[in-house]
Amino acid sequence: MLDTYLQILVSGLAMGAIYTLTAKGLFIAHLATHKLNFGQGDFLMVGAFLSMSLIIAGIPVLLAALLVLIALGLLGWGLERLVIRPLDRFGISGGSTYSWILTTAGVALILQNIAELVWGKSSHYSPPLFSEGRDNVIEIAGINMFVEEILVIGFAAVVVAFFYYMLFRTRWGRAVYTVAFNPEAAMLLGINVRRTVVLVFVLASLLAGISGILVGPLITIHPHIGLMFTIKALAVAAIGGFSNPLGILIGGVLFGVAEAFSNYYDSAFGDLYPLIFVLVFLVFRPSGLFSEAQADVR
Amino acid sequence: MSSTPLLQVDAIDASIGVINILHGVSLSVSSGELVTVIGANGAGKTTLLRVISNLLKPSVGLVQFDGAPTTAVEAHRLARRGLIHVPQGRQIVPTLSVLDNLIIGAERSEIVDSETLVENLEREYSRFPVLRERKDLAAGSLSGGEQQMLAVSRALMMRPKLLMLDEPSLGLAPQIVKTILNALRQLADEGLAVLLVEQVAMAALSVADNAHVLRNGEIALSGTASELRRDKALVESYLG
Ligand SMILES: Nc1ncnc2c1ncn2[C@@H]1O[C@H](COP(=O)(O)OP(=O)(O)OP(=O)(O)O)[C@@H](O)[C@H]1O
Ligand SMILES: [Mg+2]
Repeated sequence: MLDTYLQILVSGLAMGAIYTLTAKGLFIAHLATHKLNFGQGDFLMVGAFLSMSLIIAGIPVLLAALLVLIALGLLGWGLERLVIRPLDRFGISGGSTYSWILTTAGVALILQNIAELVWGKSSHYSPPLFSEGRDNVIEIAGINMFVEEILVIGFAAVVVAFFYYMLFRTRWGRAVYTVAFNPEAAMLLGINVRRTVVLVFVLASLLAGISGILVGPLITIHPHIGLMFTIKALAVAAIGGFSNPLGILIGGVLFGVAEAFSNYYDSAFGDLYPLIFVLVFLVFRPSGLFSEAQADVR
Repeated sequence: MSSTPLLQVDAIDASIGVINILHGVSLSVSSGELVTVIGANGAGKTTLLRVISNLLKPSVGLVQFDGAPTTAVEAHRLARRGLIHVPQGRQIVPTLSVLDNLIIGAERSEIVDSETLVENLEREYSRFPVLRERKDLAAGSLSGGEQQMLAVSRALMMRPKLLMLDEPSLGLAPQIVKTILNALRQLADEGLAVLLVEQVAMAALSVADNAHVLRNGEIALSGTASELRRDKALVESYLG
């Protein structure tokens, strides 16, 4: 019995890691521009499909991942350039318009339709990334665990650490926080606001791409999985109040684990309970886990 | 004093939307000179600084900085060339530490090697010792006066040729205003060009070399600071 629980826990951690990465993308774009990409989950879907096709075509996993990231980076750049920036002069929220909801959701629909054209409507299985088979297990402390899940968790942890490093220890991270605070003041400090914002969207898109690559072997993929990931990532980002990276990390992990257990006990509606829980949580703490540590000062 | 001024503003008109805010404003600032522009609420002081740093394009007229028109230069590039604008309300980044705020300033001005960075930090810490004590705190937790000191120091980390300040005295106790204005005077004496926008006329005039009074978007009165100080009543009639 304990074995089963631990296995569920690991599965939950793996999915939680994916939600965290996806939510980080939403968070960073929201931080810098006060906008959200409602296609974040669909970017993940594209990443998952591309990586699946490349690996099936016999391209080595690392090279395939690199190609996927290049594609997703371009997608993020295009999103900022064609969908976000034209809505206002600098790609910065004017505060008065919500057209980005329509345009980013529009991009999501376009991506879904393209994916249907290319990969069809049915579900696909992505080959494993790290081991010979999807179901390869490794024995840790006497318990069998899926190799893929363990490595997804490890890899996601590295990416999250890198993300923290970028945000809190680099010139670019300081620029992001300055732009987030006040784009015009950022310009007066010599910061190239437009380039900072472009990089934010590229990074957000890369996070979706990495999530897509990692999640492929854990689930079945089809052109419409994106919306579910967007919604869950939004829920996770909301737990962190959209402003606290640590809250998002905790929220993502908790969400994944809660979902794994609720799916174990109710396979029909298991996905629903964690979302309901987040809704109730937000009623009591509308600004997230660490509301006093608000980074969004507007 | 050098022959051509570092900053030359020639007959500027500027509008926000359809409203014309500035009318034919001209002024110049040379290296080593502290020029103040004083004016009441809504006179157009902030608009003038925004035009100079190219956040707002003038509809008529020309701004020249360091011998070249600024027309086609983006605001962040002007900043990197040493035209530094400390905006109204200081705009220090509250979520970053005091040190990070200072580093932001240094980063865009090619102060890259850590030795120069430390030298520059030390210089600012000795100018405003309170910044050293608070360097690891979130900048948002500083008092208004400390934030203004941070804003000035952050600007100085950017290697300014011209330093423009928009109402640094706003909301501060007279003693702190004095500290900051004295620091500006000293910077001018060391060769920096300073353009100080203020509402508190007498405080600004006490440190300035030359002064302009802005009223309804027009320069109503210009002169040396000592001339204007002597004519306190006249100056105040324009500010009323
Ligand atoms: N965004 C805007 N839209 C419309 N009018 C504006 C805008 N910003 C400023 N104004 C108007 O332009 C005029 C000049 O404003 P400005 O901010 O330059 O004045 P100021 O001298 O800096 O005033 P203060 O001392 O209050 O800072 C004011 O009449 C103001 O109402
Ligand atoms: Mg003003």
